[in-house]
Order: sequence, then C-alpha cells, then structure tokens
Amino acid sequence: MSTPTLASANMSFFQKIIFGDHAASEAGAWSDGLFMMITWFSIVCFVILMTLMVYWVIKYRRRPGVAAQPSPSHNLNLEILWTVVPSASMLVMFVLGFRGYAMKMVSPENAMELKVDAWKWAWKVTYPNGASSPEVSFLSYKDNMAQLEAGETDTYFKSTGLEYPVFYVPEDTSVRLRMHSQDVIHSFWIPEFRTKMDVIPNRYTGFGFHTPKLKSSDTYLDAASMTQVSGRDMWIFCAEYCGDEHSRMAATLRVVPQEVFDAKVKDWGTPKDPIELGKSLYKTMCKICHSIDGSPLIGPTWASGNGFGFGYEAALSDGSSAMRDDNYMRESILDPNAKVVSGFVPSMPAFQSQLSETDIEGLIEYMKFLSDQNSDGSKKDKQNQQADDTAGSDG
Amino acid sequence: MTTNDHAHHEGESYFDGPPGILAKVWQWMSTVDHKKIGIMYLVAVLIMFFLGGVSALVVRYELLDPVRTVETLNEAGELVQHTTGQRLAPLVDIMGAQNANEVYNRFFTLHGALMVFMFIIPSIPASMGNFFLPIMLGAKDVAFPRLNLLSWYIYVIGCLFGVLSILMGGVDTGWTFYTPYSTTTDADHWRVILMILAAFILGFSSILTGMNFVVTVHKLRAPGMGWFDMPLFIWGIYATAVIQVLATPVIGITLLLLVFERVMRIGIFDPSMGGDPVLYQHFFWFYSHPVVYVMILPGMAIISEVISVHSRKHIFGYRAIAFSSLGIAAVSFLVWGHHIFTAMGELAAILFSGLTFLVAIPTAIKVFNWIATLYKGSIALNTPMLYALVFLFTFSIGGLTGLPLATLATDIHLHDTYYVVAHFHYVMMGGTVMAFMAGLHHWWPKMFGKMYNERAAMLGCVIVFIGFNITFFTQFFLGTQGMPRRYANYVDEFQTLHIISTYGSWLLLLGFLIHLGTFVASLIAGDKATANPWGGLTLEWETSSPPIEHNFHHEPVVTHGPYDYETIVPPHWDPKDFPLPENPSSH
Repeated sequence: MSTPTLASANMSFFQKIIFGDHAASEAGAWSDGLFMMITWFSIVCFVILMTLMVYWVIKYRRRPGVAAQPSPSHNLNLEILWTVVPSASMLVMFVLGFRGYAMKMVSPENAMELKVDAWKWAWKVTYPNGASSPEVSFLSYKDNMAQLEAGETDTYFKSTGLEYPVFYVPEDTSVRLRMHSQDVIHSFWIPEFRTKMDVIPNRYTGFGFHTPKLKSSDTYLDAASMTQVSGRDMWIFCAEYCGDEHSRMAATLRVVPQEVFDAKVKDWGTPKDPIELGKSLYKTMCKICHSIDGSPLIGPTWASGNGFGFGYEAALSDGSSAMRDDNYMRESILDPNAKVVSGFVPSMPAFQSQLSETDIEGLIEYMKFLSDQNSDGSKKDKQNQQADDTAGSDG
Repeated sequence: MTTNDHAHHEGESYFDGPPGILAKVWQWMSTVDHKKIGIMYLVAVLIMFFLGGVSALVVRYELLDPVRTVETLNEAGELVQHTTGQRLAPLVDIMGAQNANEVYNRFFTLHGALMVFMFIIPSIPASMGNFFLPIMLGAKDVAFPRLNLLSWYIYVIGCLFGVLSILMGGVDTGWTFYTPYSTTTDADHWRVILMILAAFILGFSSILTGMNFVVTVHKLRAPGMGWFDMPLFIWGIYATAVIQVLATPVIGITLLLLVFERVMRIGIFDPSMGGDPVLYQHFFWFYSHPVVYVMILPGMAIISEVISVHSRKHIFGYRAIAFSSLGIAAVSFLVWGHHIFTAMGELAAILFSGLTFLVAIPTAIKVFNWIATLYKGSIALNTPMLYALVFLFTFSIGGLTGLPLATLATDIHLHDTYYVVAHFHYVMMGGTVMAFMAGLHHWWPKMFGKMYNERAAMLGCVIVFIGFNITFFTQFFLGTQGMPRRYANYVDEFQTLHIISTYGSWLLLLGFLIHLGTFVASLIAGDKATANPWGGLTLEWETSSPPIEHNFHHEPVVTHGPYDYETIVPPHWDPKDFPLPENPSSH
C-alpha cells in the first residue's frame, strides 16, 4: 500500500465534494490524502459486500418447493483470511494516522506563538507584542443597493448574518497556539488546517500549523476600502459544546502578506482614544451578551433608559440596588458574580487576567459615552448627549 | 422452578384485585411473567422512542436556515429590522428559556438523553430479550422473576424523573453532561439534577436486568442445551448483560459525583475548586463506550437469528460469531479514550487509537459471516429479512466510516463534527434500530399471536431506509466540510445540505407512522398467527403464538442445533412447503 500523496496539488472531484476546499497546510493535505485512501478502501469493501449480498438474495430467492442447497457452515481458511486481511489493513491505517498526527501536533521551534483565550462565548488571540485584533466582519452580507439605484426595485432590503472577530496571521509562517479557557471546555478548530484541540480551564493546550503562501486568487473584501485585497479567510469554530451561544463562537482567521500583518499588529499595539478602544473591545468581546440598543440579551444592555446604562441605579437580584458608577463597572468586569442584576443569571466569566488597565478604562469610557447620565446620576449636558438623542431617555 | 410456580399462585389466589378494567391493569402491573414484562418494556421504550424522535424533528426543523438580520423599509418608509432563522423562538417563553438557542440546546439534549438512556440501551435486551431469552433457553421464566418486575418499575421511575425534568423546562447540558458546563449551567434549578438522577436510576434497571440474564443463561438452559447449542441471540444478549453488570456501576458513581459537585461544590471536576474537568470525560466514557456495545450487540444478535431463519441456512461461522460477541464485550472496555482524542496527551491518544482498531475486527467478521450465510439459501424477502438487509447496508457504512475516526490524523479534523453525528447514527439507528425493527417484525406473530400486513410493513421499511439515508448521508459531507456538532446556527455554505437532511427526517417520520399503523391494524384485525409462521428451529417456535403462561407444556429437551435447517423439519410446519435438501452434507 502506498503512502498518500500530497493532495493539494491535484484535488480530485470526489475530494472536492467531500472537503469543499483545499486544506491550507501540508499536514492538512496529507491527512486529506489519508482520508481519501481509507474512503477508497471502504468503498471497495462496501461494494464487494453489497454486490455479494444483492446477488445472492436475487439468485437464491425463495421459490415454492425448492430447498436451500447444502453448503458448509464454516470454513477455517476463509475465516482466517477475512480476519487477517482487515487486521493488516487497519495496522496500515493506524501507522499512517500516527504519522499524520505527529505532523499536525509537532510545531517548529521558531514558530510565532499566539495566545488564545476562550470564554462563553468568544475567542481572543493575543500577539507576541501584547496586542489583539479589534476587527470584526459580517458572516454574510446582502443588500439590494445596486438594484435600488438602477431602479429595478423600490424597496430597500439588507440581510446580514452575525458579526465575528477577525484574527490576522502572516502568510508562509509557522504558528504555535497556546490556549486556555476562562470557564468551560471549548475546542479551537480551524477546518482548513484539519486540526482542532480542546481548550480547557485548568491547563494549557495547543497545536501548530504552517500558514499557506498566498496565491493570486486568494483575496478578500476589505471593509474599509471596499476592494478585493490579497489574503485568505478561514473559519475558526468552537467544536466543544459550551452553551447558548456555542454556535456563535466563531471567528475568521485571515492570512495576509507579512507587511500587512506587521502594520496591523503595530497599529493595534499603539495607544488609542479610550472610547475608540472601548468600542473595539466591545465589538470583539462583549457584544455577544450585551446590546447597546436596549434589547435584552444574555446580559444587561449598556444603553441607558429603563433602569439600565451607566449612571443608573441597578436593581440587584438580592433585592438591593447599586449605582452603576466607575467602581461598579470595574467590579462587574473583573468579578461579575459579585453583583448580579435582577432578572439575569450569573453566567459571565471573570475577566480578571484578561484585560489591561487601559482596556478596562476604555470599556468604562465607552459605557459612559453610551449613557445620558453621569456617574452620580445627574444628566449629562447636551453636548455629550448627541449619540443618545434617538435612543430616547426616560426624561 | 417451584418457587416461580408458587409466586404465580400467590399472585392469583391470595390477592383479590379491584374489579373490571382495574383488575386487568393490576394483573399486568403485578405480573412476574417475563413475557408480560417484556411487552410492558416494549410499550415503554416505544413511547420514549416517540418522544426522542419528536425532539429530533424539532432539532432538524430549527436547522432549516441560519440566523440573519434583515432590514427593510416599512410602508411608512421607516427602517425596520427583524431576525429570521430562529424557528424555535416561539417556544422560548413556554420553556422558560432565555433565547432560541437555549431551546435548541435543550431539544438536542433531550433527543440524546431519551434515545440513549431510555430507548436504545433497554430497547432490545429488555423487551425482546425479556420475552425470548427464557423461551429460547427452554425455561419457564428468568432466574429472578420478581427482580425482573422490579427492574421494570425502576426503569419507569427513571423515565418519570426524565420526563419531570423535561416538564420543568428540560436541560441543556448535552446527554454527555460534560463538566464544568453541566455543573454550572442553570445553577439555580433542580431539573439538571433530576435528569442526572434519571440516568442514575435507569442504570440500576440495566444492572438488574443484566444480572438476571447472566444467571438465567448459566442456570436455566433446557436439558441437552450446551453452551454451543444456544441460539446466537442468547450469546449476544449474554455478552450485553455482562457489559451491563460490569460497566453500569461506574456511570452510577460518576453521576452521583456530578450531583455532589453541583449541590455541594466538592471540587472533583471543577477546576476553579481544584478539580479536573477531563477526569469526568474519562469516567463517563469508561461506561459509555462499553455501552455502545450494549446498544449494538443485541442488534447483531437479532440479525444472526433473522438471516438464518429467513434464508433457511445454518448460520455461517457459529463459533466465530459467538466468540466475537464476547471479544467485542472485552475489548470495549479498553477503547473509551477515542472519544477524547482532542483532550488527552499524545501518547494516550496513540495507544487508544491502536486499541480502537482492535474492536473493529470482530465486528467486520460478523458482517462477513452474515453475508456468507445467504449463500445457497432459500431467501424469503419479507419485512424481517428486508430490515436485516437494510441493517447490513447501513451498519456497514456506519462501521467503515468509523475507520477515519479511529485514525488519529483524520480524527482531529472530524471529531465533534457532523461526520461523527452521521457515523453514530449509521451505527445506532442504521444498526440497532434497523435490527430492532427486524426483530419486532420477526417475533411480532409470536409475541401477539397476530400477523401484520406484509406489504404495508415492507413499504414502511423502504421509506424508512430512503429517509434514513437522505437524513444522515448528507451529514458526512457537512462534517468533512467543517460543520461542528450541536450548533443552533451555522454559516451559509452549509444550508443546502441541512435542508436535504431535514427533508429526509420528514420521510423517516412517514415511514415510522406507516409501521405504527401496520402494528395497530395487526392488533385489531390481524390474521391469527400459527405457532411457527417462518419455519424457525429455535425453541420459541415450538410453543403456541402467543406462548402459554409457562411457555411449554412439558420441559423441552434439546436434540438438535438451533440452525440445523438441512436435517430437521421445523416444528408445526408442513415439510411440503420446506423440503429438506436432498443430500444433506455431513459436517
């Protein structure tokens, strides 16, 4: 039996139906080849068995008055044969599987280490310089602006999927992941690298991969410039069931040219306006449970009004109340279960070691920006309130 | 056996039950007759199968489309926003959930828990095993008839705990109860504990039934029946019973620890209290992997009977099939790690991968033996045989698609995806449920004394077969292309395959409804069944249909093997219909 060949060079039609897309790494392509080999072996076995079954069922179907013909009820040689052949085939699969596993698990020594943090329900990737990506993209986006402008339709229609964070990695680089979970078990899966590993609360886990070289056909739509630029998007999914928003615990891994990556990481590493920082952190880390338009999600909304928002009294589940001031917010981020708002379940993980002081200040500044009241409950003056005029306040 | 007789008399003469219909009910509820208990189990597991099936349909319905936010202009020209694709949203308030995803999560948990703990584990052993194991051994009853009734009551109490938990809103832990999610979710509710206790209680029913069967097989075989004269159905049930007795206490202890963890926060599994969450997975799969064979071995046992009887051939490789059942039972205790390749060290993963391939070999041998049995037979294409052939088709796919899951390099891509979902449905549903249906049609005339409409049953079988393959074959491709399990929502590119799969599930429903109709019609207006409608040689065909209370008028003496179709004329059977071969081979 020959070892499987590198599949990415010539992916068969059948393989395309099965995997949908090329594996992004050599180790992934190798295991696809192994999968195809096992699949062809299985198809051959299956066809032989089913052909015999159907042929015999037709040939020896019951006819009135015709007896079954005598035949031996066992045959030692035959039975030894059909024990040894599957055993030998499976030994081959085991050895090749072991080899492919080693390719996926062992990462090169000079690999770039990315820190992956997981919690219910988001991923955060931290780069070697301590920065993390503030970018998000829509899962799917459709609108009929073009038809509207061309006069083909007179009603506006826009459909979007959910919004996910985007993590960047440079092309043709070895990457090693060092992963840890804040709460329950998650699993970090990049289908195009054909590898996943559980992310566990009490220990580090990880795996390595080598990002592909970008081809001229690898492009994605850049949101800022609305043009196709060089890069390749891949999905990251959480593969271990972790609760309500398990299916939203996805992200995009974007492979870009080295210089684009360097510029991005440098930009994220430099200090920003606190509100802008808070807003980008909100989008990547908080949005899944907290709205900013007043709609109730898993956690309380950050929009002001109806007893919510910065500078408003919070009714707590133990019957008491507390003013949402800077210290309340700080405590709620670092130790969320200390004060739980009435009507919500304590399900937020603690962000004690997740956020820097700058990050926490940024988030609080962003909450202040969203609210129409100050930390002592007084109304903000008009100037700062523009953003909330349309949201309405309880006056 | 005298104590059994005594028990019967006691039940009938010393207790004057309430009159009328209540007397009838009481007669059933207090029976120690293994046949009645078998039928009571059958009714109970079918109810659970129905509930589990409904929750599966709900899960598939939600997956028709992904969530999208749509913005349009209303008549007044204002921008309005609404969400599409959350089909279970109307159930949020009814179930007291926080959002539509949680409703979905509860339904897939219910589907798993009901199907595994309440349907598939007890399905064949407790219903058909209870009914036929003593008769096939030539015994009057199981070794401990009262224990048998007790195990049914324990089963029902366990089911009630589960149903109570569902009525309180259901749980969203997944049927595997992985920590620390299961110890922290819905922290202020009792329903998670109720569901865990349901599984704990059901375990006792399983242990008692298993022990009863082991003792019955050892002690109550009819005179003349040696170990290798037993029908293969008995071998399969025996191997199953051994696993039940040895493995179930482990899950009992594990589930109790889980309850302690939730209630008292003792910190065995929760890392924030110094525990290890992966330890739970090892405990859990140490039971739940052997239990995979509790689910499939009885199915294999039925197939051995059905193929042999309906093709009028001696089963090929009797000893190989018998020993492979025991071999599977033994090796099944050593392979639990393949459920957690992505959460364990590299060395352990490699060892478990190698051991996992070992368990595949006896299974492959059985399939070869069944197909070889067809050779030169006189094959009747009736419903039981059709279901046995469907089993060979779907179970072979299930087995072969397990190979990339045992192979480490490919497993860490496929683990926790729809590929795994498809694989175990091909094994559990394509294997056990198809065998269950084969057995039910095979033994229906014996159990109820009525024949069913053969054409309607075959139509049901064909529709179930097509619906099953449409539902689950698509899921292999979903998995390899990147669709994770237990997702209430998904990325757009998977939608086409999900829609096909959901349509298939509706066809499955239609197929099972046809079977339900066939069975009800049979009970009401079916032709009376003869003692031996298929010409079988095992002992259950020597007694009337349905069997008399003590199974046989005289204790049977076994003088021939269970599959000697070439030399023996089946009892109650006209040899004109089934001539013996002219030159019986001597072997």
